[in-house]
Amino acid sequence: MLFLQPLLSGILTGGVYALAGIGMSLVFGVMNISNFAHGDLMMLGMYLAYFAFTLLHIDPYLSLVLILPTAFLFGYLLEKLFINRVINHPHQNQILLTIGLGLIMSNTALLAFTSDPKILTTSYSSSAFNLPGGISISVPLLLSFLITCIIIAILYIFLSKSSTGMALRATSQNREAAQLMGINVAKMSAIAFGIGTALAATAGALIAPIYYIHPLAGHSFLLKAFTICVLGGLGSVVGAGVGGIVIGVVEAMSSTYLSTDWKDVVVFVLFLAVLLMRPQGLFGKKGGQ
Amino acid sequence: MKKKFASIVAAALLAFPMLLHAAPVKIGFINSITGKEAQIGENLTNGATMAIEDLKAKGIQVELIKEDDGGDPKNALAAYEKLVTRDAVMGVVGPYTSGCANVVASRADQYQVPLLVPAAAKEEITMKGYKNVFRLNAPANVYSMVLMDAVKAYKPKTIAFVYAATDFGVSTVKTAQENALKMGLKEVANEKYQQGQPDYRPSLSKVKAANPDLVFLVSYDADAILLMRQAKEIGLTPKAFLGAGAGYTTAQFAQQTEISNFVVSATQWTDDVNWAGAADFGTRYKTKFGKEPSYHAACAYEAIRIMAESASKSKNPAALRSALKAGSWSGIMGPVKFADYSGFTNQNNHPMLVQQIQNGKYETVYPATFSKKKLVYPFKR
Repeated sequence: MLFLQPLLSGILTGGVYALAGIGMSLVFGVMNISNFAHGDLMMLGMYLAYFAFTLLHIDPYLSLVLILPTAFLFGYLLEKLFINRVINHPHQNQILLTIGLGLIMSNTALLAFTSDPKILTTSYSSSAFNLPGGISISVPLLLSFLITCIIIAILYIFLSKSSTGMALRATSQNREAAQLMGINVAKMSAIAFGIGTALAATAGALIAPIYYIHPLAGHSFLLKAFTICVLGGLGSVVGAGVGGIVIGVVEAMSSTYLSTDWKDVVVFVLFLAVLLMRPQGLFGKKGGQ
Repeated sequence: MKKKFASIVAAALLAFPMLLHAAPVKIGFINSITGKEAQIGENLTNGATMAIEDLKAKGIQVELIKEDDGGDPKNALAAYEKLVTRDAVMGVVGPYTSGCANVVASRADQYQVPLLVPAAAKEEITMKGYKNVFRLNAPANVYSMVLMDAVKAYKPKTIAFVYAATDFGVSTVKTAQENALKMGLKEVANEKYQQGQPDYRPSLSKVKAANPDLVFLVSYDADAILLMRQAKEIGLTPKAFLGAGAGYTTAQFAQQTEISNFVVSATQWTDDVNWAGAADFGTRYKTKFGKEPSYHAACAYEAIRIMAESASKSKNPAALRSALKAGSWSGIMGPVKFADYSGFTNQNNHPMLVQQIQNGKYETVYPATFSKKKLVYPFKR
């Protein structure tokens, strides 16, 4: 039980981390921008889910139907208004812009929603499936994990089968060549940022029922998302998925067998080891970036 | 010449403002009005507001000069210096947080203006022998002591600690371990965690495997809810959950009845305690501000009352210090007396209360002399 319980909860938590990482990875792949506002976009997703639940009485998981398009539109506009202005600029300018946008979002949220943490309590918030052997699986965590899997599957099919998806991948592989082939790369950037934002907000909404909602809650997930991206290989969607689960499991295992104090140490030692042996990340392509 | 005379008169008036009888007593109040602790700061402000009104009804005019420290010791110190030098207050109530109060306390003897700390728990504040520092609330070590006293009669044998890796968490558990040792409790698990994680199940699984009689928790705000949710999920059922203040004493926590029922916690004050005026304060607070008063509100109320009543009878800060030292009061915080005992100076030996959430309501269950309800033990789902 002491082995399986943390393994299971690690996989499930890791799945939700993965979703946060995938959005960031996609944006990096297509636009070559590290989006430091990603955590704050997650925070917006948390508040959307919270208000959909408290004001409109929509289940947080059902509210994704509303959150996904809203967040996509928000991300699309953000790209059109701000991000595309720095797309060919040095990295430090892009980082400053995204950090700035993030600060505006989190501080606006602080002003509007105060710093009181909000708790989203559904009827199944603390219920669990009990498996033989004394193992239990949290119902909301399992739901979050399953929805993550479905979204990743849809995203995978979209990217590999649809023409927009192929255009996105082409832009990610070589921006200039894609443009020469007649792909509207500016539009692709806006779509990629829109999808990235939608994924961030979805991750936020999926975390909301199992975590608490706070204007600065995104910051702790930003670092995780970034680690996941680099671990899996920047720009690789599959890599981010695997990276998320690896980090979830490593965290759970190290807090079980070492101590909770040590889990971040273990995660980052592993992270450095991977970077030493595979600088391009687990699934990254050599010479990509 | 006329000008010179006028300025001498003006200077004299400034130097001896207390000679003018009609003037209200000037008291400073340092609080976290903005910043991370603003939510609790608001409770203190409300308590102070009520105290000023009640004092006015009793014929004591108070000029309360409020300063915001934003939870930052630097600002708290600047506020104290401004209050004693520019505003020439008789005494200062505050600051709220331990960090701020500790820094301001270290300067009080330099300026010789009494400081009354209403709600900061760090033991050190009244342990350095400062003559001008008084504290109304009980220091941090009492939290674990009173909790263990409450369950002593049921003869628990083992204990597990789950706590946030912060100053408050670590120091509270340290004294709790000493108290547990004295009671003959065996420590079977010790889980320190980093705040703000989404997954505490690994730590809680370890605690569950150790099967302790008591689980002693120190957590802030929302972490308390996450921990109790996940504890329920994995089926952790000790004989009692003991929450040391903070996250286990909020109205938000009590509302989560599914997970918070029968959790025991320590607090400085409740509105159902049988101290004179406590219940009445609770009702008036609820009608005035539309929410439940926290213990911070009661502490601030009583601190302002004691400070203002003593100041109105004293001519200068030095006399006020003697009055605080010599006096004793009885009010919504029970009996108050600033005494020197076991290493503390000018510390009110405040009897802390143990409360248990019963059907979404905090009920005082210990000590028996102050409570109406009985402790439910062992804990059940």
